[in-house]
Amino acid sequence: MNLSLALQIQNVSPDVNLLLILPELIVCTAGVIVMMVDAFARPRQRWMTGGLALVGLVAAMAASFWMWSGWAGPREAFHGMIVLDELRLGFTFIALLVSALTVLVSMVWVEGENLPAGEFHSLLLFATSGMMLMASGGDLVIIFLGLEILSIATYVMAGFRRTDLRSNESSLKYFILGSFSSAFLLYGIALVYGATATRTGLAGTTNIAEIANRLDVSLYPPLLFAGAAMMLVGFGFKIATAPFHVWTPDVYEGAPTPVTAFMAAGPKAAGFASFLRVFVFGFPFVATVASVQGQIHAAWLGALVVLAIITMTIGNVGAIVQNNVKRMLAYSSIAHAGYALVGFVAAGATGDPVFKSEALSSVAFYMLTYAVMNLGAFAVVTLIARSGDRRTDFEDYNGIGFQSPGLAFTLSLFMLSLLGLPLTAGFMGKIMVFRAALNAGYYSLVVIAVLNTAISAYYYLRLIIVMFFRERTTSWSAPRVPASVIVVLIITVLGVFYLGLFPNRVLDAFKTRPPAVMATR
Amino acid sequence: MLNLFFPALVFIWQQAPGGRMSDVSNSITHPDISKFLVIGALLFIIGVAGVLTRRNIIVIFMSIELILNAANINFIAFSRYLQDTGNANAVAGQVFTVFIIVVAAAEAAIGLGIVIALYRNKETIWVDEIDLLKW
Repeated sequence: MNLSLALQIQNVSPDVNLLLILPELIVCTAGVIVMMVDAFARPRQRWMTGGLALVGLVAAMAASFWMWSGWAGPREAFHGMIVLDELRLGFTFIALLVSALTVLVSMVWVEGENLPAGEFHSLLLFATSGMMLMASGGDLVIIFLGLEILSIATYVMAGFRRTDLRSNESSLKYFILGSFSSAFLLYGIALVYGATATRTGLAGTTNIAEIANRLDVSLYPPLLFAGAAMMLVGFGFKIATAPFHVWTPDVYEGAPTPVTAFMAAGPKAAGFASFLRVFVFGFPFVATVASVQGQIHAAWLGALVVLAIITMTIGNVGAIVQNNVKRMLAYSSIAHAGYALVGFVAAGATGDPVFKSEALSSVAFYMLTYAVMNLGAFAVVTLIARSGDRRTDFEDYNGIGFQSPGLAFTLSLFMLSLLGLPLTAGFMGKIMVFRAALNAGYYSLVVIAVLNTAISAYYYLRLIIVMFFRERTTSWSAPRVPASVIVVLIITVLGVFYLGLFPNRVLDAFKTRPPAVMATR
Repeated sequence: MLNLFFPALVFIWQQAPGGRMSDVSNSITHPDISKFLVIGALLFIIGVAGVLTRRNIIVIFMSIELILNAANINFIAFSRYLQDTGNANAVAGQVFTVFIIVVAAAEAAIGLGIVIALYRNKETIWVDEIDLLKW
């Protein structure tokens, strides 16, 4: 047996292809460089770290665009551990965009709060590399590692204002529930690994494409069900779906505002990327309902429909009663995860590659629109909150509309976009997700989602009303807007209109291209 | 008397097919995979119950480690079992375990760091007293 093992090991080539993980490599290297510069630079020069982080992120974005446009090489490497498809590229783009905007928002903020800028930016870059690995992993090992790289960096970032008790508490809650959910996910992976051993003598696997092949020849089908359920719970915690959402408002309120912006947009999108990949590709649709695969598929799809409904409803109803803007946005992010789950259900419900790729691209597009408007909104909230995040209640926004019209109008635009007003990105994102669900035949789900959008009008418009139609009793001076935040606001405002008016280019880029088209390009 | 001191042994004795001593010793020296899966499941349940009911942060951390180790035991058990049934390639589970151990160490370091930061501001490690943020 030892001899055969040695022979088998010899026959396996490592299948290394560093080009296929080029964006991840660039971001990791940039993170290490930022850390070194921070360690060896004189205190006066530490402002450079933000710029270096931006350079790294832009370079990684260029690399991923290169992979997007003219990649002719193999579409997977490391024996299927890393895959290259439009799902990965779309979510990689979202991760890099979120990270770059967060760097821009935090550049001046980090100095003003007297926080170590280099540490912050290198943690942000490592978290970004984790998000990208979550999107690119074709194997549960890589998804788990990416998740942990992301989570461990984010725990620290949530508690970054070390002397502030709210930040400590937020970080602790995030840590306990985050590692609890990772542990659930791991236990699920362990069960799936054991259950995918086949009757024909193949060993268990953690490769997602292989898992899909082995569902019907599994040695222990009940373990497959248990494992899939545990993984559903683990991912549900990460993207904050409703029964597992309790940590979200506390963590988002207590964390420093730029970190909240990052957490609401980035890790959620990355969670969706691997959630989609594991369930839509690992436990895919099959026509024969009676088979093990058919039963598992029906079970997780039914569970997701229920999760989507209660996530939307709890998010929107919870947001109504909030008096803190960050907390309101936290509940709104739960609701938005629910809308994105509608597209997820559509992607899982069909076996037709065209419909599936449309639904997948609609979820990616939704997360992109959410990231753009959410980061814009949090950039304004950061400015108004001032140092120490002291002014985040609705009362603090009383009557600022005419004293600081620029900020108030941009914030109103983002609120309208989050609500889903036509011409804005939020509208187009919702349309795409709902259309995918209608194509898959989930009419009642779409009706519930639209009703929920109507509920959400209450709290988004409330902020606008507070800003423009309330009298201010206390004195207020307009915050100084740093140049980097102006850049963020310009990018996000343009992004909201671009994605709302001309979504086709982005949607086409997110769609899976058939291999024939790839070859002729 | 044996019942008092070795209830588990008596249980195995009664469960063994035919109840013969050789079977008992055989199931102890060569336990099959289900025993390990049961141990994993028990550790998982103890861990989840600990996270949900305990109020001391350190104990909660330990409970989370228990869940991670439950997953480790499952991975190792499956991996060894599949190797014994003739598949030499079933090492993926053992490799995964190494990753989990490394990640668990990193998580423990971060978690204790967070607790120390919290303890400096508010001298408590009881989660009931950490109640600044709530709706």
